Amino acid sequence: MSEETRAGQASNGAPSEEFLDEWRNAAYNCYSSGHKFCREVCPVMQVTRDEAHTPTAFHANVVAMEKGHLGIEDVARDYVHCTMCGACELRCPNTLFTGDFYRFRQRTVDLVKAMRTLAVEKAIHQPNWKRWNEVTDRMKSEPVLNGTSVSQEHVADWAEGLDLTIGGETVLFCDCEAAFYRTSVPRAVAQILKKAGVEFGLMREQWCCGGPAAEMGYAEQARRFAEHNVADWRAVGAKRILVLDPHDYISFTEDYPGYFGDDYDFEIILVVEFVADLIRDGRLSLSVPIERVATYHDACRLNKRKGIHKEPREILRAIPGLEFKDVDHVTQWSYCSGAGAGLGIERPDLTAEISRRRVERAKALEIDTLVSACPWSERPLTDQGKDQDIEIYDLMELVAEAAGLQV
Amino acid sequence: MAIATLDQAVVEELVAICGEEHVLTGKSALFNRARVPAPFPTHRWEEYIPQVVVLPTAAQQIAEVVELANRRRIPVVPRAGGTGLTDGAVPLRHGIMVDVKLMNRILEIDHEDRTVTVQPGINMLKLNEELRKHGYIYPDNPASYPCSLVGGRIGTSGWSLIGGRYGHTRDLVISFEIVLPTGERVRVGDGGGPKVRKSSSGYQLKHLFMGHQGTLGIVTEATLELVPRPEAEFSAFFAYPDYASAWHSTGALARSGLATLAGVVLFDEWKVAYLRRDDEAYIPQTPDVRSVVATAMYGTVDEVRPAAKRLLKIGLETGGTYLGDEISQGDWASRHDRYATPLHGRTRNGQVAPMSWHCEDASIPYSQLPAVREKWHAIAANLCERFDMFDDWGMFAYTNGAFKPWGDYLTEIDIGIWEMQWDDGSWAAWVEAKRDIAAVSLEHGGSISACHGSCREGEVDLVPLELGGGFEVMKTIKRALDPLNVMNPGKYLLDQAYEEGEE
Repeated sequence: MSEETRAGQASNGAPSEEFLDEWRNAAYNCYSSGHKFCREVCPVMQVTRDEAHTPTAFHANVVAMEKGHLGIEDVARDYVHCTMCGACELRCPNTLFTGDFYRFRQRTVDLVKAMRTLAVEKAIHQPNWKRWNEVTDRMKSEPVLNGTSVSQEHVADWAEGLDLTIGGETVLFCDCEAAFYRTSVPRAVAQILKKAGVEFGLMREQWCCGGPAAEMGYAEQARRFAEHNVADWRAVGAKRILVLDPHDYISFTEDYPGYFGDDYDFEIILVVEFVADLIRDGRLSLSVPIERVATYHDACRLNKRKGIHKEPREILRAIPGLEFKDVDHVTQWSYCSGAGAGLGIERPDLTAEISRRRVERAKALEIDTLVSACPWSERPLTDQGKDQDIEIYDLMELVAEAAGLQV
Repeated sequence: MAIATLDQAVVEELVAICGEEHVLTGKSALFNRARVPAPFPTHRWEEYIPQVVVLPTAAQQIAEVVELANRRRIPVVPRAGGTGLTDGAVPLRHGIMVDVKLMNRILEIDHEDRTVTVQPGINMLKLNEELRKHGYIYPDNPASYPCSLVGGRIGTSGWSLIGGRYGHTRDLVISFEIVLPTGERVRVGDGGGPKVRKSSSGYQLKHLFMGHQGTLGIVTEATLELVPRPEAEFSAFFAYPDYASAWHSTGALARSGLATLAGVVLFDEWKVAYLRRDDEAYIPQTPDVRSVVATAMYGTVDEVRPAAKRLLKIGLETGGTYLGDEISQGDWASRHDRYATPLHGRTRNGQVAPMSWHCEDASIPYSQLPAVREKWHAIAANLCERFDMFDDWGMFAYTNGAFKPWGDYLTEIDIGIWEMQWDDGSWAAWVEAKRDIAAVSLEHGGSISACHGSCREGEVDLVPLELGGGFEVMKTIKRALDPLNVMNPGKYLLDQAYEEGEE
């Protein structure tokens, strides 16, 4: 390393050797190839068209930081421009064609997370994220109700009148957006499960999963929240966790195992997959026709991050009366609602535009209903749907209706 | 190295023209627009950054920015995708970068006269997503198809992988509007009408304003060819025991006169050996397969079905073995993702190293391919011997002519470079190797570049030799159109135009 480089690294924003060791090779693998195939599938880049908002830049910055050209203070704001949808990783030729050889995958989402964490460690905060996480830390749930307080006292209000119990071997986890805002989703899920004879309970004290904090760089807080939730699960004797939100599903299947290692022995079940099983096995029958023309919005964290795209379609095809106009899941790599990874908190204008374009694509199919399987996507999509005369439904809301349930 | 910051008054003027949110001066905005995928001296990064970036949203804004640059004598560098393999979009003298990515709208689809008019920041794949709905395709298909932009394709005068059937960028762009280096907006085509494909009226200015690597202006709008989406695709890969028989077969296939033939690609022994060694996605072949030829055809079913039979017959009769449907269809279908794979190479002792792909291209007459191949590999061997960070990944030769793909070939040698190892010595050796590769191309009656352009360090030194009196004309044109040398200065040795002018 040259003296000049050393001098450059003296800046406050320089990453540690440990950070560089983890990301150097991945950064060069992207930097040197420079394909940029990730660009036109990136939902944020499609709107901003700013080269500094691309996965290429996100990796090149590591190289430039090591050479002492840039510090985290120069780039922190750029890393806001990512919904962590994972499209870039899927479209990356490095992942597609070298994966087997190296067991290598370009981990752009993790890199963005690491950079955001580095920024917070260096006391570089994005103002709205800082506020959001402070409130979450205080209230234990995300402040999803603008101006109205969220609190532990009300975290299970959505379940009012459903006669749900606490604890048991199977626990239903309900994310903040669904618990406080789109309450029809957890109500639908709970009633579907009951109708199918599934025994489950709620947590004694459910905190935010911690995933959003982790995504915005507040790693310590994310970990604390995870510890609380896992302790609560253990206290009530839970062995399996039913998850209705794709973001929670990422937290519980990727973040939590990282925190707790082998001790983490919970079975994590995605409600969409579980309900598809119930329908397939005849334990849940859908007999009330839904006279709608619908298309499906592939939730990014299911389709792009987890490869789950068959079950939602299987469910939609099982709903009587529904005319389903599908757009294949690979085409949808470049679709997004823009709601993920805190983008809507720092750049609500971008979230709105990404959602507007998503609804516009749906509209072109001559449908009246856009079905999603992610509560976080449903608010911005609904906002845009109003202007374009498209109704947004959660898949479970439709299932409940088709099962004859009143949500 | 300190970069002089621009006068604040200039930034304020740019803000007045483009709007505050479209004028960027932050360090990351500048550093992330300093390079393209070509080998880049990371240890000298600061030499290549612009001082300010503008993201215009209208042609008039570009014209005003260029006018400002002239008034203040500040260099202007246009940038579209920044995916080129020569340094057109890399600032050599800092200045104002005009990044056209926000101008990515489709302005008109004309079903009657069969044109689509677009802004320069649109990507071909995205354009085709729209055109597909109407049964059309815009078949400009470079290796960078998923990411390069129409404006850059014009500035580079790009080459298309299926150009044998549909033509290359110059054949597919009918006319365009360009902001000249002094800020005037003009429309250039084959003649006057923006949708006229063939004209004999006046100078043929369309060609002049293509492939100039941003030294003659900035494209703001282009009218492109609309082609019926092909009903049928046929691809066939053939194997050969040696290069010579593959080369003979390539010639026979290319000369077949089949109008649906989109291209013939010849893989030499180094390429096959490299893929066999390090490409996990390469489907294993018996050891006697040492050279490969790939072909592809497009058209209506009625055309492609009989043509495919004829193509197979020629391939087999000239010594090829058909490699089967899996390779023929699968490898061709994934061609865009595969142009830089496997993305690792080997050091001299066989250790795997994270290397990136770099491709030196030239146009070489068919008859000269075997001789050029020997000389290029010798240059690469010398480079690898001196620096244990380069790896010879073999050669491809692609049919180069539009519609008549038999005379000359886009010939490339792919060299893996372990870019973490750059220093001044290895960089100088690389530049020298590039110059040597270009010299061989000229010795054999070729051109330094078929598709990338030839304005990078090393090769550019030989451009006057290649063009002869033509280079004098280039300088005269440059000086006439860009009297103050503000438009992408430092490229193509064009500074010489001004040195002579002052004598």
